[in-house]
Amino acid sequence: MAAWMRSAGMAACVVSLALFGGATPVGAASPEVLDAKLKALQEEVDALKKEIEKSRKAPTVVAPPAPAPTSGTPPPGEPAPATAPTTAAQPQAPPATTTPWITDFKIGGYGSTRFEASDIDKVGDTFTFRRFVLSGDATIANRIRSVVELEFEHLTELEVEKSAPSEGGLRGFSNSIESSNGSEISLEQAWVEFMLAEWLRFRAGMLLVPLGRFNLNHDDNRWDLPRRSLVDRGVPVLPSTAAWSEVGMGFAGDVDGGSWGKFGYQVYVMNGVTLDASLETVARASGELETEVEIKPQRGTANIDVKKDKAGALRIFWSPSLDNEIGTSVYYGRYTPDFLPSETVWSLSTDGKLTLGPFEIEGQYVYTRWNGIKRVAQGFANAVAEQEIAAGTAPLDVVVEFELAGLADSKQGYWLDLRYRFFPEFLRGTVFGRPFENPQFVLTTRWEQVWLHNLVKEILFTGSTLSEISREDRYVNRATLGFTYRPVPLVAFQLAYERTWTDNGKSLASVTNFIPARRSEDTQNSFLFGVAFGF
Amino acid sequence: MLSRRRFLGGATGAWLVLGPAGLAAQEGVFLTADEASRQLFPDAAITPRTVVATPALQQRIRDLLGRPPSLWEESYRISTLTRADAVAGFVVVVEEIGKHRPITFAVGVRPDGKVQDMAVLAYREAYGGEIKDRRFLGQYREKGLGDVLLPFRDIRNISGATLSVQATGRAARKAIAVLRAAGDLP
Repeated sequence: MAAWMRSAGMAACVVSLALFGGATPVGAASPEVLDAKLKALQEEVDALKKEIEKSRKAPTVVAPPAPAPTSGTPPPGEPAPATAPTTAAQPQAPPATTTPWITDFKIGGYGSTRFEASDIDKVGDTFTFRRFVLSGDATIANRIRSVVELEFEHLTELEVEKSAPSEGGLRGFSNSIESSNGSEISLEQAWVEFMLAEWLRFRAGMLLVPLGRFNLNHDDNRWDLPRRSLVDRGVPVLPSTAAWSEVGMGFAGDVDGGSWGKFGYQVYVMNGVTLDASLETVARASGELETEVEIKPQRGTANIDVKKDKAGALRIFWSPSLDNEIGTSVYYGRYTPDFLPSETVWSLSTDGKLTLGPFEIEGQYVYTRWNGIKRVAQGFANAVAEQEIAAGTAPLDVVVEFELAGLADSKQGYWLDLRYRFFPEFLRGTVFGRPFENPQFVLTTRWEQVWLHNLVKEILFTGSTLSEISREDRYVNRATLGFTYRPVPLVAFQLAYERTWTDNGKSLASVTNFIPARRSEDTQNSFLFGVAFGF
Repeated sequence: MLSRRRFLGGATGAWLVLGPAGLAAQEGVFLTADEASRQLFPDAAITPRTVVATPALQQRIRDLLGRPPSLWEESYRISTLTRADAVAGFVVVVEEIGKHRPITFAVGVRPDGKVQDMAVLAYREAYGGEIKDRRFLGQYREKGLGDVLLPFRDIRNISGATLSVQATGRAARKAIAVLRAAGDLP
């Protein structure tokens, strides 16, 4: 026990001295130096006592001068502003003080809707309710706060019904789910932060993965185009699509670098992205019930992790001047569940923003490497044994198909935004300007490219033997021109034209997750009108 | 493998190290009004008083601003700063709503009605705390009531904190308006 206490004490002393040795050299001072310091302090205390005595004898009651004439006339008969003389009991703390966290809890959120006119047949003209995100934050106590975000994406309804119907005296059981197409409910963020110091804030919970600047700043109403970037969402080069969050813990902090600007970081350990299954069930008119098991990279579980190894992510940034920033981030972790061979995925990203008067340049580059795809495919073959399993008797046949999707040896891509903000003076007196404090027009161009190297196209196996793995190199480009009106910072009316294209003669559907193109549709032209709002 | 002894020893050391640093950085509340006054006008004598925000005073402030502020305080703490019996300036504590919550500012104003400097006394929003950085607040020096103090116009914005940036400009203008309405400035 004594040895343990000694080692603990030693460690404490070493760390304390390492960090505070330079700032507080008291421990190294001689008795003479300490004596001199005490004398100096005593003199200061004496001087302060004299000051207090003097102020008690002659209180400084300052009579305010008469109010200056103003541009407006105060209502007649109203009293002049009351003034109070100086007293020692004047409030020193800020007027708004700490409140219980339950009353401090504030609800906010954002949402976005879009109209799209596309030359892709299956898209056509359509309204899309992109998402509604409900957020809340609370200061639970001094230095402890919490943030939560719950997302409803493309969701109109989700209804579950269970019953036990009786037919001909026999009891049956029924379970039905009614839901809207392509819907999702997702916990985007839910974490608590304990601020030990400005540069060391401990966070735990569902955290946004700090890989690139978009994932951290993904709120739709913050952007001036009505569609998210390819590398983050449409052709995800990120290991999972934005907004990508994981369960984990870590630290974040900022350091003021004086004339060097500001530095900051986020570093987290998380469960991490993993290959996970999603089931799609199709009831065919032929009486066949087909279930497709698609296994693809998805955000990690919030339950017991399906793999032993954890993932880590780090982002550091430097902001040399106001609203200018450059950041680098990295992610590394195992992406295979325990029943598959252990393989890793790593990503590297560089991002930045430069502001030059009314012009802004903002961009992000991401590179992701998926290691050992062939080994994973072989392990997958071993695990499921057959690519297709059929069972049943007429009139109902059940077919189960397995697919390994969304993997490529490497993916890389970038987006680059150029923006120009303005608001013509002649519009300030109109309905676009008059009611608002600082309305803005924003002209935006975005250029995006993504390259997919050895994208897994098809895997064939018989029994537990991998017979063929078919791969290809692909690219996707997109150019967007947008015009946005922001009456207030939280609301954006976004008009945009975008052109998206891929390899000649190959379908956009096989490389994007949002364009249901036919086999030979390699280009899409779209006009978009979106509305995004925050509150 | 990390032993329990090493872990506990390290944790104790870390706690001793972080304790003093943590105490120095209270969540959301950064300065008192007097500390801010001393920072904004070093070596000046501080004479504080409280001005009650009567309807008449509010009306005058509103007229000077051209639009109502995002919130009305019950009173204003105005500190007069003197050096060698001459007024060096004033420090007014005002509040403006960022997104959801009030931000408390101390605004230093010179006798000519221009901003000497500003400080954030308390920040309570979940995001946007960067407005307390010196390099941001430094933009408001020499600004007056005639300046719009809005992002993308005469103030550089902070991405993701636009509402707090707008609140800072409103606070600076409000402080000058309070001093004029209370008769401290011509």
